[in-house]
Amino acid sequence: MNIQTSKESSAMVVKVTGRLDAVTAPEYEQQFTALITGGETRFVVDFEKLDYISSAGLRVLLAMAKQIKAKSGQIHLANIGGAVREVFDISGFGSIFPMHESVISALNATAG
Amino acid sequence: MQHLPGGLMPGSKSIVTRLILVITLSSSLIFALTLGYNYYQSRIILEKELENNARNLAMSLVNKVESELVSVSKVTEGVARSLETGRYSEQELHSLIRNTVAGNAGIYGSCVAYEPYAFSRTNRLYAPYYYRENGTIKLIRLETSYKNLPYLYWDWYQIPRELGKSEWSEPYYDEGGGNTLMSTCSVPFYEEHGGVRRLKGIVGADITLDSLTELVSSVKILKTGYAALLSRNGMILAHPLKGAIMNETFFSIAESRQEASLREIGKRMIRGESGFVFYRSLVGVRSWMYYAPILTTGWTLAVVFPESELLEHVRTLSMTMAVMGFGGILLLTIAVVSLARSITKPLRSLVAATKLMGSGNFDVELPAVISNDEVGVLTNSFRLMVTSLKEYIKNLTETTAAKERIQSELKVATDIQASLLPRLFPAFPDRPEFDIYASMDPAKEVGGDFYDFFFIDHHNLCFLIADVADKGVPAALYMMVAKTLLKSEGQRLGEPDLILSYVNNILATDNDSCMFATVFCAILDTRTGEVRFANAGHNPPLIMTSAGIQYLAVQSGFVLGPIQDIVYKTESITLQAGDTLFLYTDGVTEAKNPGEELYGESRLLHALQCAPKEELCDLIHYIRSEVRAHAHGAPQSDDVTMVALKYRGTVADA
Repeated sequence: MNIQTSKESSAMVVKVTGRLDAVTAPEYEQQFTALITGGETRFVVDFEKLDYISSAGLRVLLAMAKQIKAKSGQIHLANIGGAVREVFDISGFGSIFPMHESVISALNATAG
Repeated sequence: MQHLPGGLMPGSKSIVTRLILVITLSSSLIFALTLGYNYYQSRIILEKELENNARNLAMSLVNKVESELVSVSKVTEGVARSLETGRYSEQELHSLIRNTVAGNAGIYGSCVAYEPYAFSRTNRLYAPYYYRENGTIKLIRLETSYKNLPYLYWDWYQIPRELGKSEWSEPYYDEGGGNTLMSTCSVPFYEEHGGVRRLKGIVGADITLDSLTELVSSVKILKTGYAALLSRNGMILAHPLKGAIMNETFFSIAESRQEASLREIGKRMIRGESGFVFYRSLVGVRSWMYYAPILTTGWTLAVVFPESELLEHVRTLSMTMAVMGFGGILLLTIAVVSLARSITKPLRSLVAATKLMGSGNFDVELPAVISNDEVGVLTNSFRLMVTSLKEYIKNLTETTAAKERIQSELKVATDIQASLLPRLFPAFPDRPEFDIYASMDPAKEVGGDFYDFFFIDHHNLCFLIADVADKGVPAALYMMVAKTLLKSEGQRLGEPDLILSYVNNILATDNDSCMFATVFCAILDTRTGEVRFANAGHNPPLIMTSAGIQYLAVQSGFVLGPIQDIVYKTESITLQAGDTLFLYTDGVTEAKNPGEELYGESRLLHALQCAPKEELCDLIHYIRSEVRAHAHGAPQSDDVTMVALKYRGTVADA
């Protein structure tokens, strides 16, 4: 897994590449916690290059969302497709997170 | 004992051997070079010294001989002048000659030989000769005693007569005269007669070669060195080799020996030169020779030093030095051996200690550090290493013990978790309406997957499958809670959506870690075959009917646990007799082979089609073995859980 961040005007865009599973979830959690501690509250997570997400991955995604919510922040997901989309649909996560077709529309949503 | 790799035992290339070889060889070489140089230089110095000594010695000998000869010459000269100036009667003449011999120890004999008719008109020849014989002085008349040749034709008479000046004759045997080997100093004397100077006769004085030899050999030169005298034409006059005297010349020897260099030396001598040469002497010994001319007679005096004797001191010195040097090298070798041994002794002890340590004994006594040299440092480091190793092994033992304790505890946990899940099959032997079979294989010692089935009332069987996020102990703990709640709430509420909602709210309270479980919860009415079910984010089950195998259309609700107040929805399906529901967790479809390839849904569908369907136990074991075959030895990454329920219909149906 690889995480790239870029600061946009309305939110921090976090691009996740590879697999988000029990092995890589702690790293995701660590980097995200650092961003939140650094004062970021608005996030757009780009899952375009995410190949796979496991239950452990879903757990940290949820845990991070909870932390952001506690700080009155927002988290939007963008470009969820393929196998990841299937997992989201089955687990019901699709109904919990705001999901967008592109990073731009997600950014627009955070700005609004 | 374990076979040790080469190099541990000191061999032919040990430090000791190498030290001895290098030090002894190099010091021997240095010593040999020094000795050789010393010998060479000493020889050169000695040769120079020798040349000086030889020259001095030769010159002093030359002087000695010369003065001897000169004194004889002077006496002879004096007699001649007397005869020229005074008038001597025959008696007076005889007494003059006799006194000349008597008064000069160096003169062997003396004569006054007259020209024909110069002494008297009556006697043609007159030559009285006085000489020593047996301690007395005797008179002999040469005009009569020379039998073969009159004295007029002898060299000693003829040559000074012709030259008109005094002359030393070449040595000769005076047969009929002195009867010995001698050389004669001849001085002509004259008379004035009417302004005309006319030769009257020759005064002769003899010296014997014996006296010369005695004179020359009176000088002692080393032990076997000697002086020799050679005549004008190279004839040997004085030499320790008596047989050569008057018999051999320098040239005859050169001829017989075929030595051109010897002839060259002879030529130089005849030319009246002096020199210092290295040659093989007449007696065949390699020698140094200094030669110088005796000007009075034109003879050559040679001083000969045998080389061996000359270099004797140098040789002795060199031998002494060699012996001392050899002793020194021996001493050095002993010192090197003892030094090397003292260095390698602690090393050998270390080697022994290492071997013991290799066999697991860390309480080995290490050699005491005597000095702070490299070996001492090594020993100290070694001691430090042993301490660290001991510490490390102690820690390792402790860690291993701790790990073993955890392992045993986990084993107990595995048993507990397994015992929580219904394991007795057939589970309901008295219920012919349905069959149920389930299995759970945790990826680690304890898992997050679970299943359950229990009757809510006499007709309604609740069955469920769940997958807790993540694996291991945290998941297992969460699983315990979820399973307990699901059973208690299930028995109390009796409807799938209600069960999930209630349990969700309980779990969501204080769930900061956002642990969750996906649950598929269903209730079978054994009388009708109706299955009511609700889903909390779990993957949909498969339904196997006579028409085929397909996924059950299920509305996916949100996972159980992280968020409160989730609403689930109950759906229903009616099973016909013989229909089977197959519930599983993603550990089945996401099982990977070494090439990271997932088992996948299509393989699962295919396997279910091929699987034995009559007995659920066979079905599930078949799928499990298929999944295992796919993994092909790759480590199991997730818990693998399956539940199969087959509706057989009521007794009336059957």
